[in-house]
Amino acid sequence: MEIYLLQIAHGRSGDKGDTSNVCVFARKPEYYDIIKREVTVEKVREYFGDMVKGDIIRYDVPSLDGFNFVMHHALGGGATHSLRLDTLGKSMGSAFMRMKINVREDELV
Amino acid sequence: MSKQISIGGGQGFWGDSNDAAIHMIRTAELDYMACDYLAELTLSIMQRQKLKNPQAGYARDFLKLMDIIAEEAYKKKVGILTNAGGMNITACVDKLKEMVECKGLRGYKIGYVLGDDLLDRIPELAAEGIKFENMDGIGCFDDIKDKIVNANVYYGREPIMDCLGMGADTVLTGRAADSALFLAPLAYRMGWKDGDWDNLARGIMAGHLLECGGQGAGGNFQYDWRSVPDMDQLGFPIAKVSDDDFIITKAPDCGGLISRESVSEQFLYEVHDPANYITPDVTVDVSRATLTNVGENQVRVGNVHGKEKPDMLKLCIGYHAGWKVVTYLSFAWPNAYEKAQYAADILMKKMQRKGMKADEVHISYLGINALHLGVADMRPELVDNANECVLRIAIRAQDKAEVEKIIPEISPLQLNGPPGASFFGGRAKATEVIGLYPTLIPRDAVKLTSHIVEVK
Repeated sequence: MEIYLLQIAHGRSGDKGDTSNVCVFARKPEYYDIIKREVTVEKVREYFGDMVKGDIIRYDVPSLDGFNFVMHHALGGGATHSLRLDTLGKSMGSAFMRMKINVREDELV
Repeated sequence: MSKQISIGGGQGFWGDSNDAAIHMIRTAELDYMACDYLAELTLSIMQRQKLKNPQAGYARDFLKLMDIIAEEAYKKKVGILTNAGGMNITACVDKLKEMVECKGLRGYKIGYVLGDDLLDRIPELAAEGIKFENMDGIGCFDDIKDKIVNANVYYGREPIMDCLGMGADTVLTGRAADSALFLAPLAYRMGWKDGDWDNLARGIMAGHLLECGGQGAGGNFQYDWRSVPDMDQLGFPIAKVSDDDFIITKAPDCGGLISRESVSEQFLYEVHDPANYITPDVTVDVSRATLTNVGENQVRVGNVHGKEKPDMLKLCIGYHAGWKVVTYLSFAWPNAYEKAQYAADILMKKMQRKGMKADEVHISYLGINALHLGVADMRPELVDNANECVLRIAIRAQDKAEVEKIIPEISPLQLNGPPGASFFGGRAKATEVIGLYPTLIPRDAVKLTSHIVEVK
């Protein structure tokens, strides 16, 4: 079945210039492997499409049940250059979490 | 048990509330409080202020805070560290000195660090062969070198520690790295030196968890914001650090939440590679770090490691990159979104007729897709019956006159466009676009000096 990533994960977005970073943590340790399987760099790139123009890197931090996604050229130029309402990408975290992922019902214990 | 130092984070950014810092000084047992005022482009804005008024260019908010807390902090021996000096550190020092003098705090010592502002030294450094290559590989220095607004280097703990060594009750800096404001007093009191990389890394992570104020204590908490107690009096985080322990907590009798989840969201925030988080003092490795709930509003941070510091320092250059204007027009039901789109179409046709030359035009709809843009849910059943919708048009160009062309065209659409338009907020104004050019320079090219003044 398809669910929002938000159901099994939480996180926060930050900015450095035109780079957006979104850290993603499993809401339960059991969900870490689901996120690892479902939220691949390819999936994130396809999901954001034109919004993220540069490289995307995923760093895995299993000791925190988390991941750090670093997305380059992701903020429309960043800071004052960006014409977006959210120039600092504060809402990139929630944009990330509305990604749909596939899980089996028995995985959602 | 070894010596433990308590340090609080009093500000998350320039413009933050002072309430938590005041509460922290009054109720928590602190050794230090550090206040971060500088984001990436803050110094460019402060430089513009200073050009208009030679007495401006620093975070005046800090003086308002000190007016309330200076006396109590001094009596309780809580050292204050801040980068509020911005682009005009000495002006900020003078004002602070005047203030503590008025309060009769004789013997009060203000330390300050100069030398991060490299604007006047750029030609000299370029002549020495420094290439100023863009860290992100975008653009080249030759294209921006005649448009530079400010150039400030991020530096580490040492000159701040020198001020503490001279007995400073408050240390004022410009572009010290945010986390260096926190690391400096910890390293000073614990005696950490280069080579104690794990300890230095722990000090940096203490700073990292505190430098965004409330965001480290339950603010901006996606996990479960409804569970955060008393956000109207949100406490800011406090770190208790010793040689063998590192706990994040907060002041008593205030709102906020310190839990594994609230700390984790701040832990990796704006960290890129968790195994190589580069700071001027140490390269931090949190790729195996742990966070553990150890009591009410107490989280232990473990397994933070450090490696050799980088050879180069980060230099952030702000440069004039043109002009932009942002305009808004609201529409009400029915067909609010459709009308807003229609108005955008009218305006763009008018701009074409006026021959507007823009580098970029960005059209979005508040209430529909202005935040989530391309990943917003645009199903017709959600957007077609919207109660209201605000058209937002943002334009960027090199020439100010180009972006200004749209300004007089917005409010007339109340009478001349689709029904139900409402103009608000007054006419837009063009604002300067400042681009950010991050680069690296060798440590030995930077000459930082530490100073102290005493209130007689």
